[in-house]
Amino acid sequence: MTEQVSEFLESIEEKAEKGRLLYIGENVARVDSLEKVLGKPVYTADLVPRGTAYAKLFHSSIPHGVIRGMELAAAKAHPGVLGVLTWRDIPGVNESSCILPDRQLFAKSEVRSTGDIIGAVVAETWPAAADAAASIKVEYESLPAVFDPLEALKPDAIKLHPNGNVAKQMRIRKGDVEKGFSQSDLVLEKTYRTQFQDAAPLEPEMGMAIPSGDGGVTVIGSMQSPHHTQAAVAKVLNLPLGKVRVIQAVTGGAFGPKSDETPFDVCSTASLAAVKYGKPVFCSLDREDSMIMHTKRHPFIIRHKTGVTSDGLLLADEARLVSDTGAYASLGVLVIMRATFHCTGAYEVPSVKADSYLVYTDNTYAGSLRGFGGPQAIFAIESQIEELAHKLGIDPLEFRLKNMLVPGKRNATGALMDDSCGLPQCLEKVVASSNYWEKNSRYKAQTGTVRRGLGISLLMHGNSLGPEGNDYGAVHIEIEKDGTISFGTGLTEYGTGAVSGMMQVASSVLGVPLSRFKMERPDTSKHRESGPTVASRVVVIGGNAALLAAGKLRSRLDAVAAEMLKVSGASLAIVDGIAFDRRNPSTSVSWEALVAESYRRGIKMDEDGFYMAPPAPWDPETGQGTPYLQYTWGALVAEVEVDTETGWYRVLGVHTAYDVGRAVNPGGVLGQIYGGTVQGIGYATMEELVQKEGFVINPNLGDYYIPTSMDIPPEFKAYIVEVPGPLGPFGAKIIAEPPIVLPAPAIRNAVLNATGVSVDDLPVTSEKVLMGAKQKQTQPSL
Amino acid sequence: MNVNGAEHSFHVDSTDRLIDVLRERMGLKSVKEGCGTGDCGICAVLVEGKLVNSCLMLAAQCDGRRVVTLEGLLDDPVMKRFQGSFVANNAAQCGFCTPAMLLAAWDLAKHSSNPSTGEIKTAISGILCRCTGYYPILDSIREGCRKEARP
Repeated sequence: MTEQVSEFLESIEEKAEKGRLLYIGENVARVDSLEKVLGKPVYTADLVPRGTAYAKLFHSSIPHGVIRGMELAAAKAHPGVLGVLTWRDIPGVNESSCILPDRQLFAKSEVRSTGDIIGAVVAETWPAAADAAASIKVEYESLPAVFDPLEALKPDAIKLHPNGNVAKQMRIRKGDVEKGFSQSDLVLEKTYRTQFQDAAPLEPEMGMAIPSGDGGVTVIGSMQSPHHTQAAVAKVLNLPLGKVRVIQAVTGGAFGPKSDETPFDVCSTASLAAVKYGKPVFCSLDREDSMIMHTKRHPFIIRHKTGVTSDGLLLADEARLVSDTGAYASLGVLVIMRATFHCTGAYEVPSVKADSYLVYTDNTYAGSLRGFGGPQAIFAIESQIEELAHKLGIDPLEFRLKNMLVPGKRNATGALMDDSCGLPQCLEKVVASSNYWEKNSRYKAQTGTVRRGLGISLLMHGNSLGPEGNDYGAVHIEIEKDGTISFGTGLTEYGTGAVSGMMQVASSVLGVPLSRFKMERPDTSKHRESGPTVASRVVVIGGNAALLAAGKLRSRLDAVAAEMLKVSGASLAIVDGIAFDRRNPSTSVSWEALVAESYRRGIKMDEDGFYMAPPAPWDPETGQGTPYLQYTWGALVAEVEVDTETGWYRVLGVHTAYDVGRAVNPGGVLGQIYGGTVQGIGYATMEELVQKEGFVINPNLGDYYIPTSMDIPPEFKAYIVEVPGPLGPFGAKIIAEPPIVLPAPAIRNAVLNATGVSVDDLPVTSEKVLMGAKQKQTQPSL
Repeated sequence: MNVNGAEHSFHVDSTDRLIDVLRERMGLKSVKEGCGTGDCGICAVLVEGKLVNSCLMLAAQCDGRRVVTLEGLLDDPVMKRFQGSFVANNAAQCGFCTPAMLLAAWDLAKHSSNPSTGEIKTAISGILCRCTGYYPILDSIREGCRKEARP
């Protein structure tokens, strides 16, 4: 924790009422709950005024080729059509990309995937735009394409981008793996594969632009990172940032793709059209377009070669991670880093050598999705751990206990685990809850066709952006004259409850309940840039900023209250907004009176909080250092029942525990655990966005299955473990991403333990369970 | 058609979807569109007391029929209970599926004051939620139904 924050924390803890911090650890209703249960019109599509035009994007119909011509006349002549936008209509830079400038907003000549956007039809009505878009004919000259990242890595492969097909390379060099293998009694080499997963937020991407008087635009949209969207729109329109105002509307789910490039696409297109036609324009993706054009979870091919002693001690691991980013890198550049740093999971391996590659193909592109490389890395290592335990004849739990990270051990990046590692407590909870030992020995003696099995997985998930960039957050708090506390930040709320968590931190510091707070919509014209709302970092990083802003206001209010009550600062308390003398509680001042008096005295009643995490140093040559400032820990035991004659199986129960440092809002933490776990069960058992020769063949929710209420396990036990971390306010650690990681390996391992079948590629379908052994033989190795 | 208790009369094209008439003409924005193909269920409304996907129904099919959306039940005591239990159990995260879930809950409460978990799961099985993992929604519906049973 930085000195700045700890200093405030000390002074606040002195003020803590009855030895605890007000509201922290309480199940407080989220501030945005009410508008949601009332069905208020707060989402982007609800806010579209009459007279707004509609922009419909159209995309490539071939996976790789050169555009030779376009027939736009029919579309332009279609009744109600205002015009068709292509790359020629872009006054600024034709680019819609996050990190590497490798992706155009509208393809100019070359298309590299069927998700590449060619242009947009703008019309008075949505049906007119859609009908006209269907009449557009683009002439292509097809080029050879590559859809397999291993093929794309070959030296003679076609080159998709000027710098070749490797968008990013990463490595870890720790110890001496060759020596480790030579000392090992068993060396196991296996390859694991994961699939494209779609985030499928129920509200697809959309944005509305309204031209402003100064030649600029105001954009209202569904997104995670408004300031990044502002920069992207300004670049395309060749406008200064000051002329592009972006407001994040209430967002109907995001899970990563809305921090990626698609919000840029819809908001830039709407803005281009709004400026060109001088009227509000709404650009929305329907479900099919969304599933083709937005980023998916990267498929990975991960090979582990692992050396272990006969008594079960891990000595060395050599990993090769190949990730298919599709046609563009997007946030994959950072996804591959997180996957690499997490490649040996929650285990201590003395020698690690990892090489990873983010590879371009002609598939539609992959990018940010909840877990961000963690689900793929942990699936591979946890599967490998299970295989090793079986080969050694050691119980998988015993094997894990022997090798897992505990205080004093070092992870793959060489970082020393300190007392904030709560992994042992998490494992203890789930082992007890699932009745692991008893059930496990009972299931070993099973006969018959229907068999049960347990599977375990463990999690280490780095908190903070670390190598992904400067990690900062800004908060503005203003106490209005009537006592309402307006809370504004550039960080966004899109369903996680995280901004409510930040506000809970501020409310505890001020001693005023959350019900007095008002959450402002993030607005680039009012709120400071706070970095992207990703990596579950809002409560940890933004929470520290909230703590600082509220702390400054509290000091000022304390001074006024002390004078009003004629008490010394030490015996002053503020509880539920009422200031009183601890020694004489009958003397008190109401929140309204305290605020009114402060205004009368001309006290500054608004404050900024800005927090930047300390640097997280690491060496890119060796991957060694401390790329993350603290870790969230987790453990999960899954129980499955498999019909060995048909392969049909179901998840009977899930027992899971997470060390969240300090649960600011336990109800919110559980909400993240339930939601993430079920999304992870979907990833494990049914979700797969299938691309065939570059075409997405299931771009809808009828063929791309996500869990329904009928697919959740009958038994679900979740536990919160609190071992404070050094970074977050009051020791808080992140929680939104981790729960999606553990179900896949645990379910895979449970199926293995029930049947002896190893399914090494996700999702674990019944078909694969049945065909398990045969399928393994046909898989090419790296 | 009768929408939320009031009679409305207007001309619709034969291809106009119910969802568009409700959202665009009547301003009933609690009705959400998530897929347009009847797969996600979040556009659900009650037509003649039955939960239907308004993206799959033509407005013309509702001629002379009763349509109810969440806006029409905001003063309903049973709906208020569900709204309270959804807030208390953190069952509305991104909130996009919430109006449909609330309508399904309200519909279930009409038929059962003490539904089993299986009955609740079945009642909402046509409505997707991507945030909550459904458990908080099941708890909220169970609670809301039970409160309904109390005198």
